[in-house]
Order: sequence, then C-alpha cells, then structure tokens
Amino acid sequence: MKKILFIALTVLPAMLWLKPVDATEVVIDINVPEIDSSPYHRPYIAVWLETPKRKGVHTFAFWKEQEEWFKDLRQWWRKIGRANTPNFDSVSGPTRKPGEYQLTWDGTLSNGQKVSPGEYVLHFESVREQGSREYLRQPITIAENKTQTFTLQGKQELGLISISVK
Amino acid sequence: MIKQTKLYFAAAVVAAMGISSMASAHERFVLPSHTVLSSESTQFVTLTSSISNDIFHPDRPLGNNEKGIDSGELAPLFNVLQTKVTSPDGQLTDSIQWQAFHRLSVADVELQKTGTYRIAIVQPDIAMTTYKDAKQAYQRKFGKNPTLPSDATDIVRRTTASSVATYISLNQPSKLAPTGSGLELSGDTHPNDLFVAESASFQLLFDGKPSDENTLVKVIKGGTRHRNYRAETIVQLDKEGRFEWTPAESGFYLLVAEKEVKVQQPAEVDVKHFSLNLTLEVFAE
Repeated sequence: MKKILFIALTVLPAMLWLKPVDATEVVIDINVPEIDSSPYHRPYIAVWLETPKRKGVHTFAFWKEQEEWFKDLRQWWRKIGRANTPNFDSVSGPTRKPGEYQLTWDGTLSNGQKVSPGEYVLHFESVREQGSREYLRQPITIAENKTQTFTLQGKQELGLISISVK
Repeated sequence: MIKQTKLYFAAAVVAAMGISSMASAHERFVLPSHTVLSSESTQFVTLTSSISNDIFHPDRPLGNNEKGIDSGELAPLFNVLQTKVTSPDGQLTDSIQWQAFHRLSVADVELQKTGTYRIAIVQPDIAMTTYKDAKQAYQRKFGKNPTLPSDATDIVRRTTASSVATYISLNQPSKLAPTGSGLELSGDTHPNDLFVAESASFQLLFDGKPSDENTLVKVIKGGTRHRNYRAETIVQLDKEGRFEWTPAESGFYLLVAEKEVKVQQPAEVDVKHFSLNLTLEVFAE
C-alpha cells in the first residue's frame, strides 16, 4: 500500500488529485554527527511536531537513556514530553551512534486519528552529556497537493536534516 | 547534563575507556564564595563542591564529614577523600568539615593570615581494571586484582588520583610551594590575579617537576547549563608544561588537566591516571 502510494505521489503527480486527505507522508533524514570529544556520550535526540502556537502535536523520535535526563531536552520536555511521556513507546528508543537515520510518519497521531491539514512546525533537539545542545525548527504545511522539501544544517549536535512532506 | 550511568562512585572516578584513554567521567569542582579578600581581621570563605557536568551548577555532593545527608553510594568515595588547606606560610591543615546536601557539599574555610591559601580535595590512587568483555564492550571493576571473566581481553590495570582545587588570597597574594604530588598549577601569573584580556602565563607541574606536552588541559567557563555551546577550550602545552591563557570574559572558570603515565613492567599497575580540576576566577577589566 505504501509503495503504491509512493508511486502515486512521485511518479504520477498528475494523479495527485486522487490522493485521499489522510495520505500524509513526512520523511525525515537526520544525521547524528561524529564528534571528536573525550569522553563521548551519544546524544539524547527528540524530533516532534507542534502547531505555530507551540502546542505539541506528535513526537516522531525520542532517543534517550535515563529518565533523570529527559529534562535536558529542554524544549521537547516542556512542550510535549512531560505531559505525554508514556505515549512515546512507539517512537522512543536508546540513544543512537553517529550516522544516518530515517524517520517516516503517515500522519497518524498517538490517539489513532489523522493529523488535520494546516500549518505546523517541525522541531529537532539534541543534547549530549558533557557536550553542547542544538535546537532547529522548520515550518511545514500539511495539505493535499502540497509537496515540500527542506534541508537544515546543524552546527553542533545535529548534522544535515532533509525533510520531505507530502 | 545527561548521564548514562547511575553508578556515581564508578562514574565519579575517571573512566579511562572508549575512544580516548584520557577520558574522564564526570567533572568535579570546588567553588569559593570569594577568591580575593581585603581585611586586617580574620575572614571566612564558604566553599561549595559538587560532582556535576554542569559547570558550577551542582548535581551531586562532593565530600561529607558525617555532618550531612547519608552519602549513600558516594560514601566509599568520600571516605578516601582528603581536604587539604595550605595556608600562606605553607602549613597544611585538614580542618575543613564538609556537610553534604543532596546536590552539593558545603564547608567554611577560615583565613587568618595575609597571603594565598590553596584548598584541595585530594583523591588518592583508586585501583580499577578496565577490559573488554566477550561482546567487545568496555567494562571496569574497582579494587586491586578483581575477578574478571575468563574471556576478558584488553585488560589494563589502572589507578586514578585527582585533586579538586582552588586558590584564595587575603590581602597581598603569595606564592605557595608546590606539594610535589600529582598535577599542580604554577607559573608567572598568580591564579588570583586574572583579568579579562590579560594574558596569563601558567605552567603545569607533575610530581613537582614541569609537566610536558602530553598533558590534556581544557578550560570551561562556568554556566554551561544556560548556554547551548559548551565551549571547552583545549589548551596546548609546550614541552615544559607552559601555556598562555587570555580569558575573554569575566567569571569563574574550571581548568581541567589530565595525565596518564604508563608504568614500567613488571608492576602491579599498567597505567596511572592523574587529574586536576582547578577553579579560577577572572575579573572584568
């Protein structure tokens, strides 16, 4: 189903009008940079969606170790994490080593409903023990016939981020 | 900051593992309420100390003379720590009594004489063995000759020793003779005479003699919790352990120096590790 949708969205853009409203697809390629640091600890990283008025909508990824340090993802923790921590089982996991990671989202919220069309902001936050912290944002539009691509370049704790919204 | 381990005692001791063998686990510091005082009468300075990766924001206590909370898993560490105060005439006392709270330790130091005092929380050698397990993951065990898994590889027997120190001057600063043990700061500039945009000339000593370029030194300005960029400045030493440092901003800084010494075999230890965590105060121009 996903593959068919993929073809429908990329190879046959003329047929896009057939796309159902709920066929959102957000693909995020994120680079966890190599950092020459001694000692090196893997970063805690969160990727999530908010409304332009800073209301938390959905967390795509939450890579962490111990609860005591969740708060150090300062933005994520205050805007969405502390209110919804038990809901992140499907997107949370241990911290990742440097490398390329892909996140995909079909628009389904943790309550099972589809995200409403509209303006949103993607948030990326990374913080490393005895290291620095980085926080990046990208406004996006979720709507029919509104394909967008963006790239963000982190400077410290995040590398290149490529975003595709369909 | 984020921590990956709950074993504070383990984590508090140097973790010489992983990518670099010079790696240390968690920072430690002692922060004096004042470093420069003027008075004809006795003065007191209150010290706080902590094990914390947020520089000068405390996370765990460092030191307890049975006056504070139950030290819990940190008790074995506190039991081996010695707080040494050197007064301007070179006299050594251990009169400081630390009271531990959950996030920091507190102590007063009394200054009666004109000149410079050195405060040092000294951790003598702690034995530790590091090795790789069957899954190629680094592990460590404390104590001399611990029992290791039969398939352990890359076994290194280590000791770690550290000094967490600062200097305080009442009236005219004086030059203290080096203790001759571990890493110490020396040089032409007095550690209580630091100003923004003024170059300071220091020299690191190791066991009382000039250290060398194989000494890792970094300087971190306090307040890491409230900035995104940690800004650790690596300082390059010359062959005699000398370096110049020109602070760009006023405030408290933590200077961290580390050195590893390979021990000639046969011996009970393969590598000895030494560290100095020195708090320095820099004033505005």
